[in-house]
Amino acid sequence: MEQRAVASERSIDERVIEACRRGDREAFRLLFEAYKDKVYSISLYYFQGDEATARDVAQQVFLKLITKIEQFRRDAEFTTWLYRLVVNACQDERRRRRRFIFFGDGFEMSGRASEKSSQEEHYARVELAESVKVAIGELRPKLRLPILLRYIEGLSYEEMALALNCSKGTIASRLNRGHKILAGRLAHLRGTLAASGR
Amino acid sequence: MFSQHINKQLSAYCHGELDEAEARRVAEHLIGCQRCRRDFEEIKLGVRFAEQLTTDSAPASMWTAIEAALQERPRTDTTRAKPARRRFEFNGRPVAAACAVLLVALAVGAFWLYTRQPNNAVQIAGSDKRTNTAQSEVKPALMKPQASAGGSAWEVARLEGSPMVGATQLDGSGRLAVGQWLETDNASRARINVANIGQVEIEPNSRVQLVETNAQAHRLSLMRGRLEATISAPPRLFMVDTPSGVAVDLGCAYTLEVDDAGRSVLHVTAGWVALELKGRESLVPAGAVCVTLPGAGPGTPYFDDASPRFRRALARLDSHNGSANDLSIILREAREYDTLTLWHLLSRVEGAERERVYERMAALVTPPQGVNREGIMRLDKGMLDLWQKDLEWAWFE
Repeated sequence: MEQRAVASERSIDERVIEACRRGDREAFRLLFEAYKDKVYSISLYYFQGDEATARDVAQQVFLKLITKIEQFRRDAEFTTWLYRLVVNACQDERRRRRRFIFFGDGFEMSGRASEKSSQEEHYARVELAESVKVAIGELRPKLRLPILLRYIEGLSYEEMALALNCSKGTIASRLNRGHKILAGRLAHLRGTLAASGR
Repeated sequence: MFSQHINKQLSAYCHGELDEAEARRVAEHLIGCQRCRRDFEEIKLGVRFAEQLTTDSAPASMWTAIEAALQERPRTDTTRAKPARRRFEFNGRPVAAACAVLLVALAVGAFWLYTRQPNNAVQIAGSDKRTNTAQSEVKPALMKPQASAGGSAWEVARLEGSPMVGATQLDGSGRLAVGQWLETDNASRARINVANIGQVEIEPNSRVQLVETNAQAHRLSLMRGRLEATISAPPRLFMVDTPSGVAVDLGCAYTLEVDDAGRSVLHVTAGWVALELKGRESLVPAGAVCVTLPGAGPGTPYFDDASPRFRRALARLDSHNGSANDLSIILREAREYDTLTLWHLLSRVEGAERERVYERMAALVTPPQGVNREGIMRLDKGMLDLWQKDLEWAWFE
């Protein structure tokens, strides 16, 4: 599955982008297939496992991509531009939600986290993966995004800096903080991590 | 030897993002520095956990939904190839089109110049120049709109519904003069251009007044409701008065809400904001919140992911209904970057309580050279500033 996605992503070259700029629906479909899982996953983890919101945000990203691709400048990396759209869409949605929470109380994930952690997971690796997702969901958004861009898309610090409109130093610093928090919150799973051998 | 710890570079080191010389320096430092080695182990563990993150499959229905959405938008039907310049052609009449564009530009320019004249600064179609019927209701509003008397004005645009500038409904765009009120009901929103330094969006059910605008200061007063400010200017140039304090921009983006009781909630999304009242100040960095009650002075800031117990205990302390137990809760729940809250508490508690705050802070982040218990206990300004500078990396990132 992962291999297919990678192969598909590799197939997105200058010609596909150019075809998209000309409005070729099949080229869009190719683009969509190449990036849909990663865009969806970033949205999913950004919104702490909220599948409906993640789907809406991912759809918005691709709609924007399709309607704005004419504006894409060829001197920029396509993936940087795409992930900039993802980051903006996630942040816009978060801002929109805040508008409806006067004096925003509570962190949405906290209830979910305890609910999840109270569930008896049958398999250690499943538990580990789930716990990692929950812990990442609990990070502050500005720490969460670099982690998602790095570990889902594998962006370099420079690419993340462009996508998040900040310096490489800020990226390094946010990742540092995010890693430390993850280590602290998941320390009890250190044994499971070692046993998983990943 | 250890004056330059490398803990900020550890993730980049793990990810192979440092150049050769930097990577060598980090590796050499790690051999000799136990503190950074401990940090490195922690970062490595975090990296290994993060590597467990997997990609989820997008729902199969997503493409269908995208196609459906595209079909609902005739403008964005991208199945037809479009010549790149088509958008700028006027059915084969390029000269007429160019003339039309020129005329429109001239008209807009003339209107702009007209509205820049002080005597013409009021605004909206037909407009009432003395429209502030509610200005005597609240103290900060005891001023007359200066639009007709040489005062400056800011551009204001309707975003939704029917915002009011004074007694005049804002239709499209207009201007907000010094002394004038902008008011939104539950269905309206507006955007203000703050001179040339940024923008403020006024959310529904809000009431805001332009207090002053000049080269030294741009000031709004938010009496109730919510605004979202994005400012790019030197520190202390843009301010917002609320019934409970003054939010002073230090180069930032933030939201500020005021409820009917005058309580304000500041939430900073980028940079710094200072909340000030009568010589007392709270520094609020990105990601932090500060709740301030009227008459109580600026509240103590906290990060927006602090635990609910932490927040509740802090709220009780800030409202002067707190107890030693509330302080215990705060100290117990505090994480490294909650030293933001603890640093502010140092000067807001006394005696043994201050000592407890110091102890907890020192346990979370070792005080830098030049900061010691005695100095902090007597609130030595130099030491407080030094520690604040040292803590900023934790507060910001």
